[in-house]
Amino acid sequence: MTIKHLTALGTIVLGLGIAIGITGLQACSSETEGPQPSQTRVAEPTDAIGEELMVALAQAKNFHRKAKVYMSDGNLVAATTSVRQILSLRFPANAPEAEDVRADARALLAKLLVSQGQIEEAMRTVQEGLAQTQRESFFVANLHTVQGEIHEARAAQLDAEGEASKAKAADERRAAIAAYDRSIQINEKLQKQLMEQR
Amino acid sequence: MAPHEDDFLTDPVPEPDAEATPSERAHAKTFADIVDKALVGRTPVAMSADDRALLEVATVISSAHGGMELSSTRQRSIVEDALRQAVGGVGAGASSSVTPIARGRAKRWVPWAVAAASTLVAAAAIMLLWLRAPQPTTVVHETAQIPASWTSRPADPLVGPIAREHAGDASARIDYLFADRLDGYRERRLSGGKP
Repeated sequence: MTIKHLTALGTIVLGLGIAIGITGLQACSSETEGPQPSQTRVAEPTDAIGEELMVALAQAKNFHRKAKVYMSDGNLVAATTSVRQILSLRFPANAPEAEDVRADARALLAKLLVSQGQIEEAMRTVQEGLAQTQRESFFVANLHTVQGEIHEARAAQLDAEGEASKAKAADERRAAIAAYDRSIQINEKLQKQLMEQR
Repeated sequence: MAPHEDDFLTDPVPEPDAEATPSERAHAKTFADIVDKALVGRTPVAMSADDRALLEVATVISSAHGGMELSSTRQRSIVEDALRQAVGGVGAGASSSVTPIARGRAKRWVPWAVAAASTLVAAAAIMLLWLRAPQPTTVVHETAQIPASWTSRPADPLVGPIAREHAGDASARIDYLFADRLDGYRERRLSGGKP
């Protein structure tokens, strides 16, 4: 090994030594900075009931209470407005209660609209609710039930129009039966699941 | 005693103004021819020891004044021999094992290149270690296991199937749902979040 080789090897060793030295100094400085705050904690479960959920549920409860008072007073328009406001409530992201509360509010809203003769608006309300559902629930089944009632209301309207609309009325009744069947199907499935979980 | 004609180097030094003898003139002419021939590279094969000594002195003097121009190959050979002897190498006869100066110059940058490369690697390693230094982060080791009654969950088990005659009783259901979730929320808050 010549002097040149030794020089090159020495330079390499020197470079590595500098790197290791700086790293060591850095580690030492971080160790000597005194006690660090704890780096660990127990995570809060993301699905725990929190204030945001309770506030949203309380607001939904109050809007329903208002609507009930308006309904008892015969003010269906004000009751409808109150129920509509439930659909605008802000729930925590991915809270299952949000979908349930909104589906139940849509069911009541559709019934209020039907009672005011706004059958097509009622059907739109139900269809929007069904389109937004991400899982089957008793509230979704209830929406299908209300959908069946709306089809029945349509059939009654068509019957009133005379013989020319009899066929359409029959179609609406068949649609009502299909909606009720869907509701029953969901209810049976969910009940079976609940029985298995117990 | 008369001076010896062929041994003029050992003879007494003549007076500065003394006339040159014919023998000295003849010897000087002969030596001048030898020097002239030697300067053009035609050194005589045989000559006396005295003439050879004088010729070497004449050659040195001529070279010192730039009068003799050696070929580049000869110059390089002389320098290499000198360097070889300086580092304790063998003589000119073993020149095959000696690296020529041109190749030696070419190899001179190699250790510097190795040194520069190793320094760059070391600098890169330092930068990498510096940039990858662990940042103080909060490490979540586990998620607390909490009772189901404390969690946000579907209301189906609580409400059950909704009969057609109760399809519009959303107010009663929201009351029930709110009361149930409030129980779980209060229980969790009062226990400090620990089961």
